Amino acid sequence: MLRQQRVLLAWFVLHFVLIITISCRDIVWLVAHKLTILPAPFRAAAQKVEPIAANVLGDKLSTSNPFRRALLTYLHIAGIDRGYGYFAPNVPAGYKIVFELHYPDGRVEYELPAVNSGAAGLRVATLLDEIGRTRYDPLREYIIKTLAASIWRKHPGVKTVRAVFGLLNLPTPAEFEHGKRESYDFLYAYDFSRAEEPAKTENH
Amino acid sequence: MTQWKERLRVFLFPPETDVWLGLLRIGLGLQVLFYALSLRADWNYLFAGPGEGLIGRALPEALLSTESPLIPRLDWLVMLTTRIGFSESTALSIVWWVLLFAGCCLLIGFFSRASAILAWFVHLCAAESGGFISYGVDNFMTIGLFYLMLSPLPDRYSLDHRWRKLRSKNPHLLGFFRRVLQVHLCLIYFFGGVAKCLGSGWWDGSNLWRALIRPPFNLIAPEILIRLKYMFPVAGIAICLLEISYPVFIWNRKTRGIWLMCICAMHAAIGLTMGMYLFAFIMIVLNTAAFGPDLGLAPSEKLVRATLS
Repeated sequence: MLRQQRVLLAWFVLHFVLIITISCRDIVWLVAHKLTILPAPFRAAAQKVEPIAANVLGDKLSTSNPFRRALLTYLHIAGIDRGYGYFAPNVPAGYKIVFELHYPDGRVEYELPAVNSGAAGLRVATLLDEIGRTRYDPLREYIIKTLAASIWRKHPGVKTVRAVFGLLNLPTPAEFEHGKRESYDFLYAYDFSRAEEPAKTENH
Repeated sequence: MTQWKERLRVFLFPPETDVWLGLLRIGLGLQVLFYALSLRADWNYLFAGPGEGLIGRALPEALLSTESPLIPRLDWLVMLTTRIGFSESTALSIVWWVLLFAGCCLLIGFFSRASAILAWFVHLCAAESGGFISYGVDNFMTIGLFYLMLSPLPDRYSLDHRWRKLRSKNPHLLGFFRRVLQVHLCLIYFFGGVAKCLGSGWWDGSNLWRALIRPPFNLIAPEILIRLKYMFPVAGIAICLLEISYPVFIWNRKTRGIWLMCICAMHAAIGLTMGMYLFAFIMIVLNTAAFGPDLGLAPSEKLVRATLS
């Protein structure tokens, strides 16, 4: 083989080993976390396999490790930093956020995060999914606080803002035929006031 | 061993024309244009700095820094522009115009390589700084633009070829990068199909129903969809099988056409029924560039391929 072909072959192997490892890691994670239809023995096996993929991808290394940083940089610039399980194994639940705007005169208005185009609307839905998925409470609170701040800038006269975050319940086809429609379950509420006080949180 | 190596070499470095590369460049040029235009009204709102916009890019960029400080981000471009004296808002607008310009240049094939690098870099910065608001389309655009900028541009349909008389010299290199795109698509569909097969909702059709009635994808009224409820299990299983068997049937010349058509029809349906136009378009572009040129070869094309072989 020519030298150029050897270099390209090495890159090809490395590139696709990474893609396969990441894709396998995602699927193994789904199995290990009981999100699939596979029975219990598969879950136990998946839990054993999980650390292998993590080792290959340098997840166990320190965040300042140069190898880990170089690898993560490559994964991001090549667009291969995540797997391809879109809408899999099942279509995830949707989320909704509503802001209650409390004015000094006692008036209450309701507002949703608004954008100008459908393309941006899809991105807002992605953001809500991220908020709903995160298990790290301070991160969720920070993002919702930032969203509340964007609402506040549009309505500077508001005294307090209450952000209510809910989970969307979708009816099955059979339930829909019997008159059931989409509904929301309360998940979290955050109260923000003008002063830089920490938000008061309510959980379901 | 030698025979195995030779087989691998023949598979990875087949002599190839630049038709697929032309399709990829034009398709990605259009995709970059659609992407930029679709976000025009919200660009500054989505990617604003701290204390502005929807959620701003400060948090995603901070999280990105913990992964690696070398991952491109919008902050680099904004800082560069604000140092010249522009405001942050103007800087973001300039970035948007640069992306639009790169998309136009890609589309017509003007300074193809530089345009591909510019489009890849600016889009990557936006996708990474977007963080929480990025989704599949950003991934596939990054993948497509990454391969495009590495491929031996320009192609025969570009202005570079016609006006500047530049030629893509190495047919084996063209073949190699087409193989990379082809293999990557096979892995995308295979793993996507496997992940879907592991969910009960794709076997009974409930996932399709949920996907179609879930905001913001609910373009079709559920009252209409419910009439098609008996089709959901069939369609759900068909999608799983189509994706998981893609790496087998897309390579076979006899089944390639039907598989390519089915997969493009699936993406078109996703685009039309769920409003994911950009996602649908990028997937159709990648598939068409990777496997489309072999379908219905024109006599002249056959001649070129024969000559190259």
